[in-house]
Amino acid sequence: MTLKNLENQFEVLWPLGRKAVRARTAAARLPDLAGKTVGELWDYIFRGEIVYPMIREHLRARFPGIKFVDYSVFGNFHGAKSKEISSGLADQIRSHGCDAIISGIGA
Amino acid sequence: MLRASAVAEQIGVPTVSIIGSAFMKQAALVSRGLGVPLAIAEYPGAPMVDSDEELRAKVERNLLPAIIKGLTSVERPEPDKAPVEPEPGAVVFKGTLDEVEEYFHQQLWSDGLPVIPPTRERVDAFLNFTDRDPHEVIGTLPQEGREADILSIAVNGVMAGCRPEYMPLLVAIVEAISDPNFRIETAGSTPAWEALVIVSGPVIKDLDLNYGQGVMKVGRQANSSIGRFVRLFFRNLCGYRIPPGTGDKGSIGYTFNVALAEDEEWTRKIGWPTFAMDVGFKAGENVVTVQSVTTISPPTYSAGDTAVAHVQQFADVFGRVFSYLAHSGVKRGYWYPLIVIGPAIATVIAQQWSKDEVRRFLWEKMTMPASLMRHFCAQTAGQELDFSKLVKEGTLPDYYAASSDPDRPIPIIVKPEHIGLVVAGDPGRNQSRGYMSNNVQGTRTSRHVELPRDWERLLERERQKQSAPRAPI
Repeated sequence: MTLKNLENQFEVLWPLGRKAVRARTAAARLPDLAGKTVGELWDYIFRGEIVYPMIREHLRARFPGIKFVDYSVFGNFHGAKSKEISSGLADQIRSHGCDAIISGIGA
Repeated sequence: MLRASAVAEQIGVPTVSIIGSAFMKQAALVSRGLGVPLAIAEYPGAPMVDSDEELRAKVERNLLPAIIKGLTSVERPEPDKAPVEPEPGAVVFKGTLDEVEEYFHQQLWSDGLPVIPPTRERVDAFLNFTDRDPHEVIGTLPQEGREADILSIAVNGVMAGCRPEYMPLLVAIVEAISDPNFRIETAGSTPAWEALVIVSGPVIKDLDLNYGQGVMKVGRQANSSIGRFVRLFFRNLCGYRIPPGTGDKGSIGYTFNVALAEDEEWTRKIGWPTFAMDVGFKAGENVVTVQSVTTISPPTYSAGDTAVAHVQQFADVFGRVFSYLAHSGVKRGYWYPLIVIGPAIATVIAQQWSKDEVRRFLWEKMTMPASLMRHFCAQTAGQELDFSKLVKEGTLPDYYAASSDPDRPIPIIVKPEHIGLVVAGDPGRNQSRGYMSNNVQGTRTSRHVELPRDWERLLERERQKQSAPRAPI
């Protein structure tokens, strides 16, 4: 008999929990951004004040009729009102007629 | 931010999320935990250290193509195929102690230290110390979307080196951190905050928690293993793991906190309410409070036989320590400082001042120039700290915008009632220490500790087992 066989054997339990999330498919993508309304969600950090205007400028030049709902309309979902803003976000997105969302900035 | 994207996707609006390259793995983890595959536009590097030219070039070169593709691609993002996982309570490995340790390290289920093997027998011993069903789910926790049930608490409690009788406390801790108010979804943020558990009530003595000399040092089983349990639970149930894991983006960080027990007897003796009473519980009630800690002051000595001598020292030292990160809480309207006051010092103060008077004094004296707070905020994430706007929207009291002088003194702590005061530590030395929460993340949250019906009998039986004579070799 080897030394290993003399050692205690332990049967150990799984230390994690069941995943309670049901995987869903993402929303259908748009065929084109021309004439569409794009909402901007920004957490007011990491230089979005430069990034978002640049994105707007380039997309306007490429996609005629594209419109933007400025991040200031939605407010800072990373700030003091984050819970309120997040809980009302779906209604906000619908009420502004957004066809797509650009969300940032995680860094 | 990804949670906001998931909200849009769920109502049929396509999104693309802008993420720095160092956060891509965490983004994938969060996305899986939300159950929605998200399109990502990757920003290479860290935007806070790029020049304006580099930033613009990366927006054009990297972000714009990814944004257009993410919103218009014919193929929509598909969910990952989730691997089949064991059921809660399943035996996942059999082996020697060394083999178990190696297996748990490989699976990233340990914190880098050896764990006690969570065998069925050991886990059952923990479950005996609760009247709750092992499969009762307390909450579904971000960021992996896992169910925190009673069984998972027992398993991780065993692994952390807790004793079975700590189980009621562990359950209360998980109830506290599962409260949405606690914001556990923020525990992987870069400041790398750690949870601090504060224990109040007769259970302190029942479980032999240290509240005296060396109270916050590793060394007493209850304090150390309960603190370690919280860290393990964050890893295993939420997925907050540093590399080679992916969910914890703490940039530098520090080790976990041992549980803090308050010296209730001393607190009562000097005529102050206990910390548990301060947060709304009755005297003598068993309570756990959990809050984040991101900054700890130096050991702070104060001398004299007047209250003001000591509390002024707190203001001078803690005010300086807290001033750097205060912007992070102030811009959100609150954060929670906690001061652990040495018993001898508390005795002097309590002869002249109530706890509320201490809080008021600290709030008045702990100030910093508005311009410096704005500077620290801008350095952190490039964010402008606009006090007038925050006052106008109701986030801050009006005294933050009472003057237009950029260098006017403003309070580091938003309101006096946010200051927590706990008497603990060495009664024979004049030392105190300050702890700072990470803004509203890990918001101070308390829970009553529910003891099993036959607590006294179970505890006595466990004590007898522990005190059984062991023959030396």
